[in-house]
Amino acid sequence: MPKREEDRILREWTPIILRSILIVAMVVLGAGLVLTYTFAPDYYVERYQAAQHGHLIGKEPVGLLFDRVRQGNPHAVLTIGLFVLTLVPLARVAFCFMLFVRERDYTYVALTAYVLAGLIVGALAGSAG
Amino acid sequence: MLEILIDLLALAVGAGFIGAISGLGGGVFIVPALVIFAHMPMQVAVGASLISVVATSAGASVAFVRDGWTNLKVAMVLECATVTGAVIGAYLAGVVPTVVLELLFAAMMLQSAYFTVTKRGDDILTKGDPLAERLELASEVPDLSGNLLHYEVVNVPQGGALMVVAGLMSGLLGIGSGALKVMAMDYIMHLPLKVSSATSNFMIGVTAGAGALVFLARGDVATTIAAPVAIGVTAGALAGSRVLPHLKVESLRIVFVIILLLIAAEMGWRALSGI
Repeated sequence: MPKREEDRILREWTPIILRSILIVAMVVLGAGLVLTYTFAPDYYVERYQAAQHGHLIGKEPVGLLFDRVRQGNPHAVLTIGLFVLTLVPLARVAFCFMLFVRERDYTYVALTAYVLAGLIVGALAGSAG
Repeated sequence: MLEILIDLLALAVGAGFIGAISGLGGGVFIVPALVIFAHMPMQVAVGASLISVVATSAGASVAFVRDGWTNLKVAMVLECATVTGAVIGAYLAGVVPTVVLELLFAAMMLQSAYFTVTKRGDDILTKGDPLAERLELASEVPDLSGNLLHYEVVNVPQGGALMVVAGLMSGLLGIGSGALKVMAMDYIMHLPLKVSSATSNFMIGVTAGAGALVFLARGDVATTIAAPVAIGVTAGALAGSRVLPHLKVESLRIVFVIILLLIAAEMGWRALSGI
């Protein structure tokens, strides 16, 4: 694939990826806040005051999180919204990686693979630590 | 709850707005706003800020990428350095004492103030170095009259070294480290200033994303704080980017410097009075 064509694909698709995931994340977060305000305002104030003292909920298993979303738990909806937001860079780098693989541009395959691995290792290190 | 939510949204919208018109990003302002006005511990503010920085970077990058300001290949090369620094920084943020974080934050504010004062014009090169040529980093950018201006890139390893530091600061302090990134690209690698700013903005998403993933996976993000902050900072940044073309930013530069110096003084004072 010529360099200009590769550049065109990147410039056309990257904004679409960024904007789409950002909109989805903002909608989920907005919905989570509305649900919290409607069904669990006291819980919100309790968590806010706990955060002021540095007390956080800590790690939550992903499976449990989705179960809570299905039950309409507002806090779980907010957490899912934040996870969706962190998908923005992951999805963008993964897209570049696949494009460079298709183009057989192995220097950039290696570079984007390193960045992708860094993002994944970071998440794994966080959940292990 | 409504009062808290309105306060958080107001702080976040303000931070996002000033971050966008100053070009320094929302993280620089939301962390001290949460610490000083919402009385949040530094680590809680850092976690919430990292998430919001991902959002503002995504929002602001769209137009820059589409219009050809962002050098995507330079971003991909330098992201290797920033991700490395950010993951290490975010990991360390869980163990580094708050006093150190506050002192580092004050130092970064002084660096941002210095950068805002000394921001210089373009120094475009017509010959790149061999590594930059091998990585095909040279590109073109539209000038004011719409003509394409060709520029070359040099000193990739030196720029990359500073990017590791930028990533480290981002993961530790919850900021995008935009001032450090732009300095590396503009001063060291000789990219045009607007390309440096657009590319830095684009890279900030991955840098902050790496840190945010560590914080989220570790359970160190206060969801109730991070959610309204992410929405508010994004809205503020969007409003700021709309207003920006109609503002005389040069005349506001002194205001930004004063705000940065005040934040540096406040964070430094907090750190030293807590020792």
